[in-house]
Amino acid sequence: MSTQSEESRQIVASLAHRVGPTADIAGIAQAIMSILQDMDAALTPIIGQQGCVALLRRSLHLSASKHARLAGVHDRVQAAPDRAELKALLLEQSEADALFFGEELLTTFYALLTTLIGPSLTARLLRDVWAPSLSDTPSQEKSP
Amino acid sequence: MSTKVTINRLATGVPGLDEVLGGGLPEFSFNLIAGPPGCGKTTLAHQMMFALATPERPALFFTVLGEPPLKMLRYQQQFDFFDNEAINQSIRYINLADDTLAGDLDEVLRRIVSEVEAHSPSLVFVDSFRSVVLASQTQHNPNNNLPQFVQQLGMLMTTWQATTFLIGEYFTETDTNPIFTVADGLIWLRQSVERNSMVRKMEIMKMRGQPTLPGLHTFRIASSGIKVFAPAPLNPVETPMTLPVQRLKMGVPRLDEMLGGGLPRGYSLLVAGPSGSGKSILAATFLAEGARNGETGVIAVFEQRPNHSQNATLADLILCGKVGLVDSRAPDLSIDEIVQLLLSEISRLSATRVVIDSLSGFELALAPTFRADFRESLSRMVTALTRAGVSVLMTSELEDRYTDLRFSPYGTAFLTDAIIVQRYIEVRSRLLRIMAVVKVRASAHCDELRQYHINDDGLQIGEMLVDQEGLLGGRPTTRRTGDPDV
Repeated sequence: MSTQSEESRQIVASLAHRVGPTADIAGIAQAIMSILQDMDAALTPIIGQQGCVALLRRSLHLSASKHARLAGVHDRVQAAPDRAELKALLLEQSEADALFFGEELLTTFYALLTTLIGPSLTARLLRDVWAPSLSDTPSQEKSP
Repeated sequence: MSTKVTINRLATGVPGLDEVLGGGLPEFSFNLIAGPPGCGKTTLAHQMMFALATPERPALFFTVLGEPPLKMLRYQQQFDFFDNEAINQSIRYINLADDTLAGDLDEVLRRIVSEVEAHSPSLVFVDSFRSVVLASQTQHNPNNNLPQFVQQLGMLMTTWQATTFLIGEYFTETDTNPIFTVADGLIWLRQSVERNSMVRKMEIMKMRGQPTLPGLHTFRIASSGIKVFAPAPLNPVETPMTLPVQRLKMGVPRLDEMLGGGLPRGYSLLVAGPSGSGKSILAATFLAEGARNGETGVIAVFEQRPNHSQNATLADLILCGKVGLVDSRAPDLSIDEIVQLLLSEISRLSATRVVIDSLSGFELALAPTFRADFRESLSRMVTALTRAGVSVLMTSELEDRYTDLRFSPYGTAFLTDAIIVQRYIEVRSRLLRIMAVVKVRASAHCDELRQYHINDDGLQIGEMLVDQEGLLGGRPTTRRTGDPDV
């Protein structure tokens, strides 16, 4: 298994952990937004707010263009890429779609940062985002 | 015991920089790294930062409106000194772009100070400081007083015991910039471009309380980072000559007696001759003779296709480590770089014999910007090497000009302690070789023009051509004995 997919697995696991076993759409949207917020908190001091916004936009673009089922999402978010809009959009999805969108967006964001500053520095900067979920509950806790 | 303050000097971790700075970086100093785009300012800052920052006394790197931090991380990572593990531990990047965009210098200062108070850093970098200045100028805010800002920043950073670097693009050092006055140190980086050659140079224009090395010092940026080529330190006390003078064997039969018993130890010898006259063979024999006597040597070759590989003896000596090879194919060499390469090989091998083959190739290998000063450079190199106590043999291509008895095309003959000259002559439709010892400083030597030839064992020196005269003219005539009128 490549490092890249190992990281993706961690991100998916971390998201699943934050969502918890009883996943309603509000919880899913909240979990995705909280991870994005943590990533922001880790990166903004270093690359600035504008740098973070640019990375998020590019990630949205990449994940939407990869999956046809996210195409509609893409157009709306490109029009108004702000956090509240993104959250509102997530809340409109089915639970499965929202979770899929979240996983896609977060792993794409991570992969994008990796192509720019390399795997080890990316891991170093975002370590704290995944750290709590990886240290306690394993990914088996995924909701059925 | 002295009650005066002791200024600690920090080791910058940049090879050669501490020497140029005059002993390291003064602790708690407030410095400016300046220069045009692409001259290595950010790299220099990063290299020092990674060398000096510790988790207890971290470094803060404030990025302002210069290079976007994401790119900086991307590119700086390519250097060996960049340690990912240090990020967010001993090194913290702090983005001030938004504060600077607002153009409020008081706010920028407040942010810097609050971060400094929070982390108690030993090192603070602001990159690029020029953008802070420009941002402040776009505002018509009377409170944005740049001199006051710089003065306060300098005072606060020193009070918090932080060694500070402002990094900025400045093109002329004559700018009347308040930073130049307030700063304790000014490190100016330059790029000198001539034709297709580019040479990086560094100047310490100011460093309070330090005997910096004046002038421009060349440096390179490689994957290991910046390396500054400080001039070789001049040892004021020359190694006293041991008496009786020790003489080195040259390895060429009969040449030692021509030199008056061998080459005095610590001498520099110039072997000048036309192409194909056997200068390189003589040089290789000199090293081989040293190796035979348990000495080690260093050879610097500057040919496009180095002929050391064609000389089996020399190749063996290099292979078995008895001779160190300096074969820098790096473009745009500077004299200090070569001297440093030579000196480090000399000290690594405790070498006593050094060969430079050839001065002509060396001149071509130098960056065009240094060629004008070639004689001066050569003089510095010879001085540095002989002060290191080694004996130096240099070869020099000598165009055959039979009307002109010169030993070196550079007018450098006076620099060397001894000279051997080689010549072609025409005798009975053959091209013969002759050589003579022209000079051995403070020593008697042979004044004969001897014929020699080259075979598989190297140079074989023969007799004088007593029946010929006018040898140095290249077309000797047979001397008619007993007929003084002709």
